Amino acid sequence: MIHRFWLIALAFGLLVAPVFGSPNEIRKSIARIDNTMQDSNYRVPWLPGNMAAGSGTGWVVSKDRILTNAHVVSNARFLTVSKEDDPKKYIATVEHIAHDCDLALLKVDDPAFFKNTKPLELGGIPELESTVAVFGYPIGGERLSVTQGVVSRIDFRTYTHSVLDSHLTIQIDAAINPGNSGGPVLQDGKVVGVAFQGFSGDVAQNVGYMIPTPVIRHFLKDIEDGHYDRYMDLSISVANTLNPAMRKALGLGDDDHGVMVSAVQSAGVCGGKLQVGDVLLSIDGHEIASDGLLELDGERVLMSEVAERKFLGDEVKMKILRDKQPLEVTVKFDRAWPFLMQANSYDTPPAYVLFGGLLFQPLSRNLLGAYQFQSDRVNYFYDNFVTKEIYKDHPEIIVLSTILPDPINTYLAEFREGIVDEINDRKIRTLQDMANAFAEKPEFYVIKFIGYARPLVLERSAVDAARERIRKRYNVLAEQNILPTEFTAASR
Amino acid sequence: MIIRRAALLLSCLFFAAVQTARADEAKPEAPLSVVRVNVTNQPWDFARPWGKRPPYSRRAVGTLLSGNRVLVTAELVANANYVEFETPEGGQRVPASVEVVDYEANLALLKTEDTEFLKAYQPLEITHAKVGDSLAVWQLESNGALLVTKGPMTTAEIGHYPIDDAPLLVYRVTAPLQFRDSSFTLPVVKEGKLVGLVMRYDNTTNNAEVLPAPVIEHFLLDAKKAPYEGFPRIGISSASTRDPQFRRYLGLTSETTGGVYISDVLRGGPAALGGMEKGDVLLQVDGEAVDQEGNYKDREYGKIGVANLFSTRHYEGDVVKVAVFRKGTKKELEITLKHRPVESYVIEPYVLDRAPKFYVLGGLVLEELSRQYLKEYGNDWMKKAPEQFVYFDRQQNELFKDGPKKLVFLNRVLPSDLTIGYEELTQIIVTKINGMAIQSLDDVPAALAQAKDGLHKIEFDNEPRVIYLDAAQVTAEQSALQQKYRLPSLQRLN
Repeated sequence: MIHRFWLIALAFGLLVAPVFGSPNEIRKSIARIDNTMQDSNYRVPWLPGNMAAGSGTGWVVSKDRILTNAHVVSNARFLTVSKEDDPKKYIATVEHIAHDCDLALLKVDDPAFFKNTKPLELGGIPELESTVAVFGYPIGGERLSVTQGVVSRIDFRTYTHSVLDSHLTIQIDAAINPGNSGGPVLQDGKVVGVAFQGFSGDVAQNVGYMIPTPVIRHFLKDIEDGHYDRYMDLSISVANTLNPAMRKALGLGDDDHGVMVSAVQSAGVCGGKLQVGDVLLSIDGHEIASDGLLELDGERVLMSEVAERKFLGDEVKMKILRDKQPLEVTVKFDRAWPFLMQANSYDTPPAYVLFGGLLFQPLSRNLLGAYQFQSDRVNYFYDNFVTKEIYKDHPEIIVLSTILPDPINTYLAEFREGIVDEINDRKIRTLQDMANAFAEKPEFYVIKFIGYARPLVLERSAVDAARERIRKRYNVLAEQNILPTEFTAASR
Repeated sequence: MIIRRAALLLSCLFFAAVQTARADEAKPEAPLSVVRVNVTNQPWDFARPWGKRPPYSRRAVGTLLSGNRVLVTAELVANANYVEFETPEGGQRVPASVEVVDYEANLALLKTEDTEFLKAYQPLEITHAKVGDSLAVWQLESNGALLVTKGPMTTAEIGHYPIDDAPLLVYRVTAPLQFRDSSFTLPVVKEGKLVGLVMRYDNTTNNAEVLPAPVIEHFLLDAKKAPYEGFPRIGISSASTRDPQFRRYLGLTSETTGGVYISDVLRGGPAALGGMEKGDVLLQVDGEAVDQEGNYKDREYGKIGVANLFSTRHYEGDVVKVAVFRKGTKKELEITLKHRPVESYVIEPYVLDRAPKFYVLGGLVLEELSRQYLKEYGNDWMKKAPEQFVYFDRQQNELFKDGPKKLVFLNRVLPSDLTIGYEELTQIIVTKINGMAIQSLDDVPAALAQAKDGLHKIEFDNEPRVIYLDAAQVTAEQSALQQKYRLPSLQRLN
């Protein structure tokens, strides 16, 4: 089980020798961040959710900006930063937040905060077995804490803040316990990573993870234009070509190169450019081995690392075989993957429509977490949203999540957890479609659910009559919140 | 529903708790009408379809009926290798065999060649029970004495049978049953006549679900005809019309009080052939009014689901008259009831006494998806089996209206030099082999004859979508593979 480090960081490195230049200068540039946050409320979406307080670490990355983890400042309502040598609490705001790589950039309006600080310099990827020092504010303490550890492994790993994303991660054996989140990991006076998550459970101990500098630099470069565009992604799957018969069928020689495209997401950047059965030979000049790895800066890494390093508007060139014929394909990253419903979402109030006491909400990871649906269809649609391209028909999967009991809906319990397909014979692709359908004035609203042959029928006159009653009885502050998101817009 | 099923399955075998007051020690009926039935079952292993699982034994109480036949539940004899009768007090045993079995009605008739053995026993007659009757559940003590526990019949309703797709009439009896080691298939008796067999027992509520006399009588009558046909089904799903908004939407005026909404009609099923349509409102069956929930007033049991009329009161081939309301008018339809054969399901709800089909293609183990396979994941298979397969099973009537006939899937890969790179493939549906659509496992050999350029092309519904095998190598290494993995055979088809 991986969990995030909010508080606490205590560990003792095996080596004692300091590995950085001038510790005092570095200490002055590290801040404690206090976040008063407020969750979204998916069960009663017109109300805010729980409040909580948390603290983490950040560090001065440029003249007047602080870098930290996205999860330290997510769902923030009020943020303060403070330094060891200064009693004052400064008010901070989030300038950029990247949930897909768990990084955020903070602004502090009062220039006094940056007196005596010096931006920390970014280093490279530390060598295996080399020693690094982790700085942070464990258990929200007032004094900075430093621990040391050894670089154990460099690997791709899930970033648990979003759950959907994996990027390069460095594993260190400093048992960073919660609290260092966002804190810098230094070697030779330079930042080589940001402590961000750990591993807990019976199988592993003394394992901490940091975000390495390629990911940090990617984030900083992405926001140079004032907007964070997210990581680019090829949105394809590939299969190995280790099997000799497979290689022969695909027209491959005996050279251990090439992988077969096994899925192409039509909504991704390769949609229409690659096909299942194509063989990818190289990408941007890097030859792809038959296991899907390629060599980049002397390391064998996953093919997707090439896309990881791209930005919105960049291109990749791929050499492929299609029906054994060589082809060159250029793919332009003109959009990031638009379907984020399987990722944790933050800082967005839940979308919903309440009609006749029926609460309709688009399916998402957050919604599943709030409701624990039993329906096998809901779970199947969620898990296969991308792989079976369910987004084509249903860019948003609208679920009847709750029924606020009222005489008008007293016989409708069987529809709970149903997925809306049509209203009055019109396909419902998004929550906006649904709001539009309910804004019309037919005699009956006939709502069809996927897999339910019986429609749910509401009489307009009954809905109108019940409206105020339901609003009052259940203290409904607003009957809908529709967020035109990137993917609902893209689906038009 | 999932939870309920699990609870019932768990409690179906043994009755715990030796607490309750012993019911009146009824005098053993003289002569006795029950024998012990010992069964050794050995199910096929659907995860390794070339073999069977280890055998296990069960002891049960069998009820003697006229004609020297012994009645037990079908569950008891599912995949039976060996059946024998034993005297109630232990001792003499004679070999027996299954004459007729119906897994959907959960009943089996057993017989023995040794006609002398049963002469000492008195066959039981069958009679119906009604709610409120005091019924007696018979168990056997180890010395052969009859242990009788009495309890009232509380309910008659349409309930679940072990094969989930086939609800039929069930009696419920509340009785504090004792724990005894051969308590499978207990007879339930009223005034010396059989009214049913205990199908499940929940020792926390003392609630026994009883397979009732009308179902037994139906089965016995069917059993007289060869071939055995089974209980008819109408092939509809229904939904309540209680919601007044829904009734007005359907155009049902206030003078029509009842009627249940037909939410689905099984394609090619009796209702469809008889002209019933999705969206009809079923008003009457056999002249009996159907209420908003799909119940009618039965002359014996009162308000009960119409499935009782179609499946228990009627027989294969019977014609029922139904009245439906369709778009403002009332229509009379005649529907010829038919049993739905298990083979007609895309994902068969049970595969019992039948060996699973399989085909080992160069180390790829191909099988047909069945619920029996999913049940290898244990009692909570709906949670543990592959999500996609469970979804396919539950929604099969909706998802596979246009085929395929069966779903062929790659169960696992037996690694060898043929399958390098494919070792991790598992549980994906095979859609085509060498370009030919695979409708059932029997299509595989013909498709394999179509290899192109010496390669077999196998396509799946999921990643990796397509793989290849060297056709000549598959043939050449067949026996080596069989030996290496010690497989008794490489295929079992029809």
